[in-house]
Amino acid sequence: MTSSSNVASPPALPTAGQLLELRDLRTHFYTQDGTVRAVDGVTFEIRDGQTLGVVGESGCGKSITAMSVLRLIERPGRVVGGQVLLRGKDLLEYSDTEMRDVRGNQISMIFQEPMTSLNPVYTCGDQIAEAVELHEAVNRRQAWARAVEMLAQVGIPEPARRAKQFPHQMSGGMRQRVMIAMALSTNPELLIADEPTTALDVTIQAQILELMKALRERNKMAIMLITHDLGVIAEMADEVVVMYGGKVMERADAMTIFERPHNPYTRGLLASIPRLGEKRERLEVIQGVVPNPLNLPTGCLFKRRCPYAMPVCDTAPPVRQVAPGHVSRCWLTPAGEPPRIGEDAPPELAEESAQELTVMAR
Amino acid sequence: MTGPEARVTSQDRPDAPPDPESGSPLWKPAADTGSHTGRRGASGAETAPDAQGEVLVKVTDLVKHFPIRGGLLGIRRLGAVRAVDGVSFDVRRGETLGLVGESGCGKTTLGKVILRLLPPTSGDVSIKDRPIFGLSGSKMKAVREDMQVVFQDPYASLNPRMTVGEIVGEGPLVHGLKNRVKREELVRELLGKVGLNQSHIHRYPHEFSGGQRQRIGIARALALNPDFIVCDEPVSALDVSIQSQVLNLLDDLQRELGLTYLFIAHNLAVVEHISDRVGVMYLGKIVELADVDTLYRDARHPYTVALLSAVPEPDPRRRRKRLVLRGDVPSPVNPPSGCRFHTRCWLREQLGNPENCVTDEPELRTISPGQQAACHWSEKITPEGVQSAAEHQPPVTLAEAAAD
Repeated sequence: MTSSSNVASPPALPTAGQLLELRDLRTHFYTQDGTVRAVDGVTFEIRDGQTLGVVGESGCGKSITAMSVLRLIERPGRVVGGQVLLRGKDLLEYSDTEMRDVRGNQISMIFQEPMTSLNPVYTCGDQIAEAVELHEAVNRRQAWARAVEMLAQVGIPEPARRAKQFPHQMSGGMRQRVMIAMALSTNPELLIADEPTTALDVTIQAQILELMKALRERNKMAIMLITHDLGVIAEMADEVVVMYGGKVMERADAMTIFERPHNPYTRGLLASIPRLGEKRERLEVIQGVVPNPLNLPTGCLFKRRCPYAMPVCDTAPPVRQVAPGHVSRCWLTPAGEPPRIGEDAPPELAEESAQELTVMAR
Repeated sequence: MTGPEARVTSQDRPDAPPDPESGSPLWKPAADTGSHTGRRGASGAETAPDAQGEVLVKVTDLVKHFPIRGGLLGIRRLGAVRAVDGVSFDVRRGETLGLVGESGCGKTTLGKVILRLLPPTSGDVSIKDRPIFGLSGSKMKAVREDMQVVFQDPYASLNPRMTVGEIVGEGPLVHGLKNRVKREELVRELLGKVGLNQSHIHRYPHEFSGGQRQRIGIARALALNPDFIVCDEPVSALDVSIQSQVLNLLDDLQRELGLTYLFIAHNLAVVEHISDRVGVMYLGKIVELADVDTLYRDARHPYTVALLSAVPEPDPRRRRKRLVLRGDVPSPVNPPSGCRFHTRCWLREQLGNPENCVTDEPELRTISPGQQAACHWSEKITPEGVQSAAEHQPPVTLAEAAAD
């Protein structure tokens, strides 16, 4: 989807069907111990009706990316650079009032733990009706009717009775349905789902995933699906972004990510998960641990854990195009070999080469 | 380290009778690992589905109900959560028995009752042919040397005020290893065994990552040189790349020390990887118990089938129609009559709602060698039937949406 030309011309008009585009987004947290670059130059885009999967381990910046899109970052964090273009307009330049209009209307979000994101002292119906009232010119009665209708849509039996119940009276799966009902009550163009099924059991997860698929189909809505579960990604996503240490390591369509991954991190992740029906003597492992965000290595963030690490990895690797629509942040050539400049190329040469090869904005 | 040492004075080691089976001090490595009959035995014959090893832990008709009290004084018994409701199985020496099920099915309670961390309502558990529920405190203390536990949350299960050395060394201290130098030596050895830096012995839990903390938890479980370890969701809180490290570690330790695991988890792929046999729990009962390959290839309980079908596979080519169970797990306070799964059962629907599913409670019965299932209609499960059940279920919920 992304070609280098597309990004090179700065204030380009949005291409048809382009819903959200992140360009070099940077969100940093200024803590007492130093600066945490939670999101550090993230670039990707979501087209209308598309499901983009964002995958990575905890601390990779996937949730902060989503919060940055909705401008929900609070001190000590700050979006320090880049653009968040919604239909070509930069959300980072919106006023707070304008932004409030975007939230819910164009972009909705659902969170991992429905119990902590629903208000325990209001009924589920009240909470959905409130969202409806805020965004549409309706009276209380109409808003309530709409809330009941939404509960029915997300498959809650006896919606009229359930609307009068409080979150604690419902099971985890039901609560997540309420969250989805609330998020969809204003018919958004983009739904950001942050680990929507992580807290749920597999049979309930299957229900919620089927529900999201059906709603996506009907509402022609785009989804940004954030998860660490590669199974959920494979099930749902059209495109996949793999994040590590606040950076996008690899980006491609789902089939490519799972069948021809280029980045050693993606390969490591895929190799390390046990899969149903494939009993192996030993699991492959990614050595070591995720680096401390306050003390990231120079050059490639993954080099200390990477089986392919070379001297040149001390210089920040290029984001190179492996194939059309497939980019990877790595020194390995598209064929998976050491770079042509040599694996022990001097830093200046490496830096120059990295800039030449990089296809996205920085 | 004054705290733990002050505490030891109240511990009177002598009255704990030495275990007849392991006369050697606890902190010496086990001499006998010969009877390890895990799946990775050298020959195929050893792992034959029927292989009966020595039974290490025997669970007989175990019941655990939690009373629900109410009324003015809070003493009237209103009912009970039937968390574990008649469970029997054996764990054989050297094997890993996996236990899967959804939250609320009773698997964690079962693990705790087996360890006698919770008192049972009825039933029996014996380890090495020795029933544990009647034992006095001091006798129980001796038995605890044989059975240890690794908990799910590596953040909550380590005392933040104790150093790693104190955490791992506490068990040996309580069980009589009072010499500080020897204890430290032991702790260092254990840290090395679980892949931690031995020089980190004086650090506190917050200085470690999640995966490292879980290694500390494992070292603590190993400190008394147990035969049997209950692993309660040991990798669920860990990141994918760390999860595989810990699973491999558990594997290595099992081989090296001849350990026996009861591995409780909800992740079916993880359980498949680590287990020799697997039990599936639903509403306080085991509904299927089989060798791992049989269970994952040819499940004979409709709940197992649905559970396996629900797992999203990390392969976009294998996106398929899944068998989605409707509704939630019923309340364990008032489980459905007959077969507890009948309210959500796709097979029952397919067979035209036979009467006995509602009236008769199915017993766990042997379907094939090494496979037991608690379903009246196990034999009616066919690949075609599963396929058609997946395809003929109503499209999710939007039917209702269209109606209004």
